[in-house]
Amino acid sequence: MTVTRWFGLLIAVVLATATTSPAVAESYPSKPIKLILPYSPGGIIDYVGRQIAQYLGESIGQPVVAENRPGAGGITGTDVAARAAPDGYTIVLMDPAIVINPTLQPSMPYDLFKNLTTISIVSTSPEVVVVAPQLPVKSMAELVAYGKANPGKMNFASAGVGTTPHLAGELFLQRSGVTATHVPYRSIGQSYPDIMANKIQFAFSSIAGALPFTTDNRVRPIATTGTKRTPVYPDLQTVDEAGLKGFEVDLWLGVFGPAGLPNDVTTKLNAGLQKILKNPSLIKALAKVGVEPNGTAPEAGASFVKSEFQKWKKVIADGNIKPN
Amino acid sequence: MDIQSYITLGFSIALTVQNILYCFLGVFLGTVVGVLPGVGPVTTVAILLPISFTLDPVSAMILLAGIYYGAQYGGSTTAILVNIPGEASSVVTTLDGHQMAKQGRAGPALGIAAIGSFFAGCVATLLICFAAPPLAAIALKFGPPEYFSLMLCGLIAAIVLARGSILKAIGMVVLGLLLGLAGSDINSGVRRFTFDQAGLADGIEFVALSMAIYGIAEVAYNLEKKEVATQVARHIGRVWPTWSDIKLCIPSVLRGTTLGSILGVLPGGGALLAAFGAYTLEKKIASPPRRFGEGDIRGVAAPESANNAGAQTSFIPMLTLGIPSNPTMAMMIGALMIHGISPGPRVMTDRPELFWGLIASMWIGNLILVVLNLPLVGMWVKLLRIPYGLLFPAIIVFCCIGAFAVNSNAFDLYVMAFFAVVGYLCLKLDCEPAPLILGFVLGPLMEENLRRSLLMSRGDPAVFVTEPISLAFLVVAAALLLVVAAPAIRKQREQAMQE
Repeated sequence: MTVTRWFGLLIAVVLATATTSPAVAESYPSKPIKLILPYSPGGIIDYVGRQIAQYLGESIGQPVVAENRPGAGGITGTDVAARAAPDGYTIVLMDPAIVINPTLQPSMPYDLFKNLTTISIVSTSPEVVVVAPQLPVKSMAELVAYGKANPGKMNFASAGVGTTPHLAGELFLQRSGVTATHVPYRSIGQSYPDIMANKIQFAFSSIAGALPFTTDNRVRPIATTGTKRTPVYPDLQTVDEAGLKGFEVDLWLGVFGPAGLPNDVTTKLNAGLQKILKNPSLIKALAKVGVEPNGTAPEAGASFVKSEFQKWKKVIADGNIKPN
Repeated sequence: MDIQSYITLGFSIALTVQNILYCFLGVFLGTVVGVLPGVGPVTTVAILLPISFTLDPVSAMILLAGIYYGAQYGGSTTAILVNIPGEASSVVTTLDGHQMAKQGRAGPALGIAAIGSFFAGCVATLLICFAAPPLAAIALKFGPPEYFSLMLCGLIAAIVLARGSILKAIGMVVLGLLLGLAGSDINSGVRRFTFDQAGLADGIEFVALSMAIYGIAEVAYNLEKKEVATQVARHIGRVWPTWSDIKLCIPSVLRGTTLGSILGVLPGGGALLAAFGAYTLEKKIASPPRRFGEGDIRGVAAPESANNAGAQTSFIPMLTLGIPSNPTMAMMIGALMIHGISPGPRVMTDRPELFWGLIASMWIGNLILVVLNLPLVGMWVKLLRIPYGLLFPAIIVFCCIGAFAVNSNAFDLYVMAFFAVVGYLCLKLDCEPAPLILGFVLGPLMEENLRRSLLMSRGDPAVFVTEPISLAFLVVAAALLLVVAAPAIRKQREQAMQE
């Protein structure tokens, strides 16, 4: 981005705030839509968000401008969308942290269910379970057996307290009865050197984070966490297949807007998203990072968000996880 | 892959049109800020940090690195022509360089500075090629305990080698460590020192902090000084030194390059220490007749070779260990981390394109610098006439845009304003900001690795001494502490620093 574009952005933001008026829904969208990405450039949200922004803009007839608003594990960016005028010109792309944060954080600037509207759950992506190459473990069943034979000896990595890799690991411990020590990193990518060195024995990782290390066997993938196998690792069993029935962790992404979005705005955005998620070139771009298109209706999305909220709330309560 | 194929890989990346352009832009900007007194590479890197986030990491590093070593070339120009060091590392160049200019030999002085720098740059680049891989091979054995001890060692070295009072250096390191603690603790998720401000949930923004301290505070500090009436040397003369000049300088350039390369690797080192060291050495062992201080060309050749060699080899600890040897390198580490690359030994094995691309670009950058500098001397002289009244407001505007642009969060502007005041106070109190930045960058990493080590050892602190590499670093750290504590050595150090 050049300096002139910052100026442009600044001016655009100033103008946008200055000319906020009740949206005329019939002509929606009549000006550029802002898609907030609550994480720093470089991650999956950034990559997927920029793809979606480009395709959605072409499909909906107005530019969709992706804007990174990182901070506080996604809370900062989500809050921007929650506080925006409910006119459909400010929306946010968020991952499961949006349903985990309310349970984990002592104070939240917004209420997930009162201040946000689910527009669509756009994608789904399993996590992949990776183990240290030195570990005599080739499958999920062997990991459980090894863990039971060596209680409390193993370490598992995460991308920080309350992140999906952490909670997936907790869920695994709760379901399997294995005991292991949680070792948080700033991102799951940073933990790989220690997994390679067998200082960390296993981790639940995003596919995008795991791919560079699994392609040349520096770490060993043993299972994925979806309801079905992923095309990225077609030979890997799902955790469910491996015996932990019903174990599912989904690194889904959803598009949300502020509460009180007019129905036709939600419908238009949802239709636009559903349409582009059938575009083969977008599907191909998403597949590169192990992400598969979903594209739910708004109501189905909202009830999915509720069930995810409940699911993680229980894992957090059972694991007695809290910031302290 | 062997070194040769890595070097080929490096050049294949550095020689893309895009990367040549960024390399050119970097060294050009570097030269400009080198020429301008009061604006250093740290300030410039700080200003350009946010822009670099939008580039791919290789281009970003090429650009930022170019600024740093480019500034070493530019700094000598001002030193020779107007007797003001454009960079701190060219302070000693004024001694003989400006004398030469007064005698109408500004041309050869500029020429030998550029030639010496080019030679030193090439040698130092080669050195990185050959020294880095073995270092990185050792570093693959690095786990959390090793990292912790290494960083501890680095911080202590930064204190020992800091200019001025040791007590102040310790104070600044500790302040930096404390500032680094703010934000969400990754081990527990608790928010520390955030005063319920969402803007502090991820800690103090590095870009805002560094821009405040190196951009705004420096500007404010410079404003206090009376503007020096610049007396630009009128007669520059032909730029190419005579053959006898060159013959005289060859040993000096070689000595400067060697010393600079060594000093650059040391934590706390880099260009500045290298230039001082080289000049002192040259005064003692150059062949007579020695006319140092009266326009001896060797007094330009040696420090200018040394500062460029030092600037370049200071990338070795940064790239192989993730340890910054000076504030600019700390800034580069910050840039890498924001690109999602954890700096350290694995950069070389996991991101060979980044490592070797950067090294290849340094060689190209040095070539560009020679071509750029020799014919453009006249233009650089004009640049010196830009009044501070225009320059300083521009710097502040760019700092504000830069700090805002990282997170699009106005809170970071308040953070910057606050630390501008802090930074200014530090400068007034004669406290070097470099240890603060080092503490700020290394502190959180140290804490993470300390706690990670203890988590993995199930709380047993013995892990730091039972791991051999970790133990070695702790021994070095203890030795460095002894050096500081021993009164006799301390006296010597103080004398050396005063020179």
